[in-house]
Order: sequence, then structure tokens, then C-alpha cells
Amino acid sequence: MRAQFLSRIRIILVCIILAALLISIRLYFIQIVHGEEYTLKADRQFASGGSGLFDRGSVYFTRKDGTLISAATLATGFLVAINPQTIQDPEAAYAAIAASSDTMLSHEAFLAATLKKNQVYIEVSHRLSDDKGKTLAAQDIPGVQVLRERWRQYPGDTLAAQSIGIVSYGSGDTLAGRTGLEATYDGTLGRSGDSLYKNFFAELFSNVGNLLVTARDAREGDIVTTIEPEVQTRLQDDLVKLNRRYSSRESGGIIMDPSTGAILALAKYPAYDANDLQDITGALLGNPLVEHVHEFGSIMKPLTMTAALDAGVVMPNTTYNDTGCITVNTARICNWDSKARGVIPIKQIIMQSLNVGAAWLATELGQDKFRTYFTKLFGQKTGIDLPNESGALLGNLSKPQQIGYDTAAFGQGIAVTPVQMMRALGAIANGGVMVKPHLVRAVRLNSGIERELDWSETVPVFSAAAARETTEMMTALVDEKLENGKAIIPTMSVAAKTGTAQLTTPGGSYYTDRFFHSFVGFFPSYSPRFIILLYTNDPQGVTYASETLDATFLDLVHFLIDYYEVPPDRGLPAQVGAATTP
Amino acid sequence: MHNLRFHLPYSVVSLCFGAVAVLLVAYIGLIAVVMSYATLTVEFSQSVRNDESAVAVLEGRYLAGVLHITNIDYSAEGYAKPVAKEFVRAESATALR
Repeated sequence: MRAQFLSRIRIILVCIILAALLISIRLYFIQIVHGEEYTLKADRQFASGGSGLFDRGSVYFTRKDGTLISAATLATGFLVAINPQTIQDPEAAYAAIAASSDTMLSHEAFLAATLKKNQVYIEVSHRLSDDKGKTLAAQDIPGVQVLRERWRQYPGDTLAAQSIGIVSYGSGDTLAGRTGLEATYDGTLGRSGDSLYKNFFAELFSNVGNLLVTARDAREGDIVTTIEPEVQTRLQDDLVKLNRRYSSRESGGIIMDPSTGAILALAKYPAYDANDLQDITGALLGNPLVEHVHEFGSIMKPLTMTAALDAGVVMPNTTYNDTGCITVNTARICNWDSKARGVIPIKQIIMQSLNVGAAWLATELGQDKFRTYFTKLFGQKTGIDLPNESGALLGNLSKPQQIGYDTAAFGQGIAVTPVQMMRALGAIANGGVMVKPHLVRAVRLNSGIERELDWSETVPVFSAAAARETTEMMTALVDEKLENGKAIIPTMSVAAKTGTAQLTTPGGSYYTDRFFHSFVGFFPSYSPRFIILLYTNDPQGVTYASETLDATFLDLVHFLIDYYEVPPDRGLPAQVGAATTP
Repeated sequence: MHNLRFHLPYSVVSLCFGAVAVLLVAYIGLIAVVMSYATLTVEFSQSVRNDESAVAVLEGRYLAGVLHITNIDYSAEGYAKPVAKEFVRAESATALR
């Protein structure tokens, strides 16, 4: 009985050992003997787990209804490489590859590559579509490898290209974000390893803690921007038309929620196609809205006015004597038409854009208070999440000459970036409080958690009462002055101000016939949802911003009212009624 | 004194052989599972990337459509600006007033 039992045990043992041997032999053949062949085959079918395949997080636009639309993502396809040592018929190989590829080497270059017999791998074509790559791979041409490839793709082409940024090799051999959000959030978007291909069991045996929660998972992810694609499209389209019409050197614009600092659109023309960087200069890749400073002209006047009201040196009904021109420190300051207005209320400084009035406000405010307000408004960078932000040039405010303060009061002699200007003017729209402008609202981590970014830091500058009084003046300007009163929207209060600044010559003086035009506006005036800043640099054949930018501004206002279905804030009786405009 | 020696029904050598064989099979099985898991992971991740890429193509078409609509010159299409605009209160979308 015992002998029978032992013999059965031995038979089972022999079977198990035989099975183990068979599996081991099979594994030996798969992994050792045919290992290279299977590796190539796997590479052709799937992405390999190696670090050679580009991986990176996505960037998303956010539509008004919260839908995410890709701004930057990865495209997958194939690359073609040859092995000069094993290629048999170069002409046939070239013909087959050229038939599948749009980015093929020239015939001569391809043949020259096949002659480099000391090399085993030369890439000859990139970015083949999935279908074409698989068709070419199926031909199984000796010496031709069709391998998986991924690359950065921007579905919107030019859409918000300067904000989204680019990925490139730079001076090193690593693909990384170089400009825009791609650079700012490179630590989040970049992929440091093969997180998607990690070996569960190897991780289990080596480091259980890392398998469950890794520092990488807590850092890497996708980013969700505040940019609304249709608003961005509209702004870009308007800027193209504006720039072409006036042959400007450049034009730019920002649309922001003044209460949160969320930027819905930020654009500049000329722009570039992020998917086609072959002929792009380095200067075009930067973002002038955060990197370049300008003297903005009269859109600075609302800030001077609010500062004076906030400091209590003037009241809304205060009057002053406008003489048309004044002389300060031997320099002459004049109104745009050099005409005197006599004794008028300070409201007219905004409505008629009077330089003499703005200079008078600066004098009333005094140098110390003026410097304190303007340093608070422009002394710090905004902290926007774009790289290479510049600081303002406020040198004139540290000198004792009054002329520096008087000219700063109407936007000449100090230079700030468009984003800084937007942030400062946003304080008037937001009850006197400056917010932090930003383009990214959340990070979607690999773990699936969406982490909202904290942009709640604010800087109180003016009292709400002072901001409202200036808003009333800017609203009156739109209702009564803009396009001679034809721009009024009966059912929507809109506050705005135009600005025209003389451009500086290389010698430091000012051109008399070259200008920088700017325009700012927000609506509904007393509970704003949008603030718009526009500028166009050196437009040809026009002098004043009211001639160049009002149509663009009004187009954007009407578009936003329609697109966001902004309810009327005035002009309709309580129950029924209608308001008509010509 | 009684002899307390314990008698096994089979030899210790056989038991060791058996244990080794079971461990070997378990090890090989584990390798097979790990490889299958890795293959599935790679396949899945590539499939996710392919789907994302396909979605991006559709999103590109949507954005191109938005651009096309924005670029339309309505006056060239025969539309004219209204002579006057009337702003009226929106009616409730439901029958409940």
C-alpha cells in the first residue's frame, strides 16, 4: 500500500518536473533565441516600455459649459528607420517608404544613408499616420523598420499658441516645455519615466509604498486652462482684422474675469502655428503681453482718477480750470487738441481724455501718494503663470521732478506690460481690489484627482466707492462719447476708456506721428463679468485709439453678451417693455 | 523510556523534491502572469494614447469649425445689419409663469 502511494507521488513529481522543463525550454526559445525578433515585433505593434517613446501630459481649454477641449496633446503614428547593413534593395525601399510618407528624405539623401554600412539605425521618415505605418510594416521590407512614434500635437494650430507654448529640445537632448504654459508647468506635464508600463509585481516586491502612492503621481498630470476656445478664436480673429486694416507692427488683447483673474482669452498678432515651427523666429515664440512693456497713454487716467478719489483729494463733483496747456519743469503738457475747457467737473477728464486734467489730479495727489498708489499697482510682477514676465519701468516716480508724475498720470513716461495694465484696471472693475491673473485653473493628476489651483491672493488698492465713481465716468464715456453716442447699448452698461500714447524714438524722445493705441472696457459696469484690454502698436494712417480699437472692442462686447447670454442690467421696465437703438 | 521517534509515510528527500517542483511551477507561473500583465498594460496604454489621438483629431475639426464660423463675412453672404435693434425681456422657457 505504502509502495503504491510512493510510486504515484513519484509519477506526479516526474510530470511536474517535465512540465516545468518544457515551459523553461519554451521560455528560453522565446526570450533568448528569438528575443530580438519578438522585441521588434512588439515595437511595431505597441509602444515599447522604454524611455524612447515621447510621453507628456495634455493641456486643455475649458468651454463655457465646462467641457474640456485639447489645446495640446499627443499624436501617435510611426517613424521609419533603415538598417544600412541589412537593406537589400535601396531603390525599392525608397519607393515603398516615399509612397507612405509626406516627410521623406530626398532620394539622394536616402541612398547616401543606405551607404553608411557602419551604422545600423538611421531614421528616414517621421509622423506616418497609423494606417500608412501599418501598411508599410506589413510589406516587411528587409532593412526597413517601422516603429511607433508619438509627438506633440496642438489641435487648435494657432489658437492661443503663444499662451500654450511649445515643446522642443532646446540646447539639450531632452524634449521639454520651452515657452508658455508648456514651460511653466513642465514639472506637471513632463513624464519622468514609464509610469504607464510599470511592472506591478516587481513594484510589489521591491517597494510597496511607491506602488500605492508615488511622488510622481502626486506631481504629474494634465493642466486645465481658463481659456475659452470660442472666445479666444473671436479675439484672435478680431486682432488679425485689426492688424491688417491698420498695418500695425503688432496687436494684442486680453479678456479676463475681473473678479477672479481667470483669463478667458489672451492673444497677439502676429501669431504662429504651433504644429509648424520650421520658419518661426525666436522673437515670435515669446509672449509680448507679459514680456514687453509699453507706455499705454490715457487708459492710465482712470487709475489716476481713482487714486485721487480714494485719497480724498477730490470729490466726484470737484471742478478745476482747464487751460488747454500747462508748463511743468520747462516741459509743456497739452490736451490732445490743445484747447482750453475752462472750469469743468473732473468727470470730463475721463470723458474728454484731458491730459491737463490728469496732470492736475497728480499735482493734487502729491508725489508721495501718487508714488504709493502706482507702486502698489505696478511695483510688483503680477505672478501670472507664464514665463519671463517683465517688471514695470517706474523710474520717473523715484525722481523729484513733477513732470514725471504729471506725464505718468496720463500714461506717458512709465511703461508696464499689458498683463500688468489689465490687472491694475481690473481693480476698478472689482471694487478696488486687484486679483491675480492666471491661465490655469486646475491640475488633473495621474491619480485621477483634479486639484484646483489657488489664485485667491488679492491686493486691495482703492475703496469700492472710489472705484464705482470712476466706473460711472467710464460708463458715461461709452454712453455719450464713444462713436458720438452710437455705441450705447440700451440694455447693458459698459465702461471704457481709450488711450493714445506717442511712441519713443531710439534717442529717448517721442515721435509726433507714431502712436501706441490702447483700449480698456468692462461690463456690466457695476457687476462686471468681463474686462477687455486691447492694443495696437504703430498703426498706420490713424492718430487716435477711438478710431482703431472701438469697433474691435464693441464687436467683442456684443459677442460676449450673446455667447454668455449676459442678462440686461438696465433699460428694461420691471415687467414688460422694450428699448430700441438705431 | 518509550521511543518517541515520528515516522513519516514517505522520505524527506521526496518531500523536498515535491516542494521544489511546486515552487518551480509557481515561479514560472508567476513569471507568466507578470509578462501577461505587462503586455496588457502596454497594450492598454497604447490604446489609450491612440484614442486620445483620435479625439484630438475630432477636437481639431471642432476648433477649425469654430474658426470657419468666426471668419464668415455675413455681409458677403447677403445679410445686412438691422436698421434698428429692439431689446425685449426674454420669455420664460416653461409654461409655468
